[in-house]
Amino acid sequence: MSAVYARRRIVNVVALGLSGVATLIGLMFLVWILWITAQSGFGALKLSLFTKITAYGADGGLSNAIVGSLIMDLLAILICAPIGILAGTYLAEYASTTRLGATIRFLNDILLSAPSIVLGLFVYVIVVLPINSLTGGAISFSGFAGSVALALIGLPVIVRTTDEMLQLVPGTLREASLSLGIPQWKLTMQVLMRAAFSGILTGVLLALARLAGETAPLLFTAFGNMYMTAHPLDKMASLPQTIFQYTNDPDPALHAIAWAGALLITLFVLALSLLTRILFSRKKVSYE
Amino acid sequence: MNDLAAATAAPLTGAAVPAKIKVRDVHFYYNGYHALKGINMDIPEKQVTAIIGPSGCGKSTLLRIFNRIYAIYPKLEAKGNIELDGENILDPSYSMNRLRTKVGMVFQKPVPFPMTIFENVAYGIRHHERLSRADMEIRVEQALRSAALWDEVKDKLKQSALGLSGGQQQRLCIARGIALRPEVLLLDEPTSALDPIATGRIEQLVEELKHEYTIVIVTHNMQQAARCSDRTAFMYLGELIEFDNTEKIFTKPGKKQTEDYITGRFG
Amino acid sequence: MHATSAEPLARDTEHRSRADARHDLIFRLLLRCCALIVLAALLGAALSTLWGGRDILFKDGLHFLFSSEWNPVEDKYGALAPIVGTLTTSLIALVIAVPISFGIALFLTEIAPNWMRGPVATAIELLAAIPSIIYGMWGLFIFAPFMASIEPWMNDTLGNIPLIGQLFQGPPLGLGLLTAGIVLAVMILPFISSVMREVFRTVPARLKESSYALGSTTWEVVWDIVLPYTRSAVIGGIFLGLGRALGETMAVTFVLGNSYNITASLLMPGTSISSSIANEFNEAVGLHRSALIALGFLLFVVTFIVLLIARLMLRQLARKEGR
Repeated sequence: MSAVYARRRIVNVVALGLSGVATLIGLMFLVWILWITAQSGFGALKLSLFTKITAYGADGGLSNAIVGSLIMDLLAILICAPIGILAGTYLAEYASTTRLGATIRFLNDILLSAPSIVLGLFVYVIVVLPINSLTGGAISFSGFAGSVALALIGLPVIVRTTDEMLQLVPGTLREASLSLGIPQWKLTMQVLMRAAFSGILTGVLLALARLAGETAPLLFTAFGNMYMTAHPLDKMASLPQTIFQYTNDPDPALHAIAWAGALLITLFVLALSLLTRILFSRKKVSYE
Repeated sequence: MNDLAAATAAPLTGAAVPAKIKVRDVHFYYNGYHALKGINMDIPEKQVTAIIGPSGCGKSTLLRIFNRIYAIYPKLEAKGNIELDGENILDPSYSMNRLRTKVGMVFQKPVPFPMTIFENVAYGIRHHERLSRADMEIRVEQALRSAALWDEVKDKLKQSALGLSGGQQQRLCIARGIALRPEVLLLDEPTSALDPIATGRIEQLVEELKHEYTIVIVTHNMQQAARCSDRTAFMYLGELIEFDNTEKIFTKPGKKQTEDYITGRFG
Repeated sequence: MHATSAEPLARDTEHRSRADARHDLIFRLLLRCCALIVLAALLGAALSTLWGGRDILFKDGLHFLFSSEWNPVEDKYGALAPIVGTLTTSLIALVIAVPISFGIALFLTEIAPNWMRGPVATAIELLAAIPSIIYGMWGLFIFAPFMASIEPWMNDTLGNIPLIGQLFQGPPLGLGLLTAGIVLAVMILPFISSVMREVFRTVPARLKESSYALGSTTWEVVWDIVLPYTRSAVIGGIFLGLGRALGETMAVTFVLGNSYNITASLLMPGTSISSSIANEFNEAVGLHRSALIALGFLLFVVTFIVLLIARLMLRQLARKEGR
């Protein structure tokens, strides 16, 4: 009897101990990766990164890549935020019980984890190739195509958060508006959106955080550019794609620049995800 | 007036005053469940009609048919006739806009819109009427005064309505409803989320508003029905058991079930 | 003023009602179009990659899937090596990430004191927020050299075990399937653990309490009550991680070593579908490009199926809860 008991206790202690070890392993990797990024990145930070373009290679900077990233990320959000918010609104307000709604919601969750490189190929086929043949080969890869690819990454994030946030809005708000004779579209756009504003904003920021770090979909859509450009139909450089290129290069000086770029992206993305956490938790408190 | 009404009252119908709403053989189905079973009643004009009964008796359901707010949910169905000023509001051709400007509703929990106090009242008006800035200010002030809220909020009209107390929010919702100048005001347990003092203010307000509006109030609070209504309907299991002068219902109920309920033997 | 404002109100309502109904309809259609874009994106991704890969698929058909020869010079392309690489690295990632994720979920739901849960959970979820290219860089510059330093030891110990020994024999390059698998494991760990954590919390307290009341240890409660109760969702979470691992590009491209040889050893370089596409697409023309897009189609179909299973499994628990 007591032997059985002792054995059970030992199993328990070992299992629980291992779970603590597993958590430590997870945390260790986080610290390890962040530490390396911070160390190598801060070591390579210098003013010229922000003033010089990549055409100078190891003597250059990342200014065109930073500008390209900002333009494409912003354009991507401008594309996917309206579509995603309206689509999420459709799911929450018009299709919460219909089969079409359930199907779209289900497939949206799949799109959420779909391989980003395939979305890049998709945009290559439906944007890059057609533009290329329309312009007789004058324009092929472009910042615009990159933005479309990034928008596809952000879209499902926004759809899902909008859907969830609108479902949190109490039904009484809908009843109260409708009983004043306010039509559904006004109620949705002016009352519900306002009530769910911080939640929807959280979704948009989350989408931005996700697409800002994406590399794969940019490789064959925006392609990259050694020079500064702000024209969305030019080939456009971006931070992740430049990092990819520099990391693949044997020159250690370029590796240093890549690390500095990596640090910039990581800081941006982590700051955004922490910000969304704060926004979201504040929202939760103020709601009920 | 109560005496006069009592003298001429017929059971299950209205009073000596003309009926604003005539309910004729109304059935309601909720996902196939038969929730209201042939309701007939006449709601008298410019009086307060209270509907009481145990939870699940269908009193809120009945109220929610009067402005067809139930129609925003799928699988709910109302059958029968409800005549508002002689026109059947359940007829699909009856315009929803018209109905909702004629019949206002206030809900159990106060639901201010996430806007300023001023906008809360102005929002509904703006959809139905085009008013100048000055006219709008007058309308909002009138509505807030009628809802006995003006003095408390006149200095903070630009602040968010979410900052008001529960009782103030509920009066704001009443102001929002009467700003559209409806003829009927539906109150669905308007004080169940409020403290006694706020409840008292709302009841007082109901007393004042009945001179201009036909009021139907659903309440689970029998004292409230007794205090502020002219006529009281008792419902049980989806049926209208008794509908009469409030005084009579609470002193000499005609039916055994009513008596059991008001004496607290069930519910 | 009263009389004048009431008059137009009555006159306008019919007109306004019709206008409102019309606007509502337009609004609804607009919203539905936006929602359908989600469907269009998925369908489009499948169809466009199928279309882009039609040349190789029509030319070689099934042979494309089972040929291990990838030779741009002779314009011959077989998908077997990338497929094997993708499956192997994802499998390694699962073997490592599942127990660790389970441990983390167990720690955070049953063991950690309350003050610790929030911060630790946030930290683990930050792993998911780090861009994948950072994983790739860390993998190439830091983790691969580390692996190179311990691989001789692996050769000597694990390499001598019968049956599985072969997996751990090879030159200590640091790059290869095993390294890529481990990097992937770290990447998908937050996804699996957060699903597990969420579903563990859905287990009704009365179930756990009644088991504790019988004298069960924490471990027994988790193993005998919590896991069986949440089985389908846990599997769903694992498949979700698998879906991520299969499609991941940047974290593995640098550390795979980019070789089309299929070997028995996990220490040898390999390739994967996504890294083949990333590395070669911009230099590829003609049939080569078509083969890469066809690879993309394959990847999409496989991840779609895996994610479909994941979501279906996850939905079962939601149903059980009556959500």
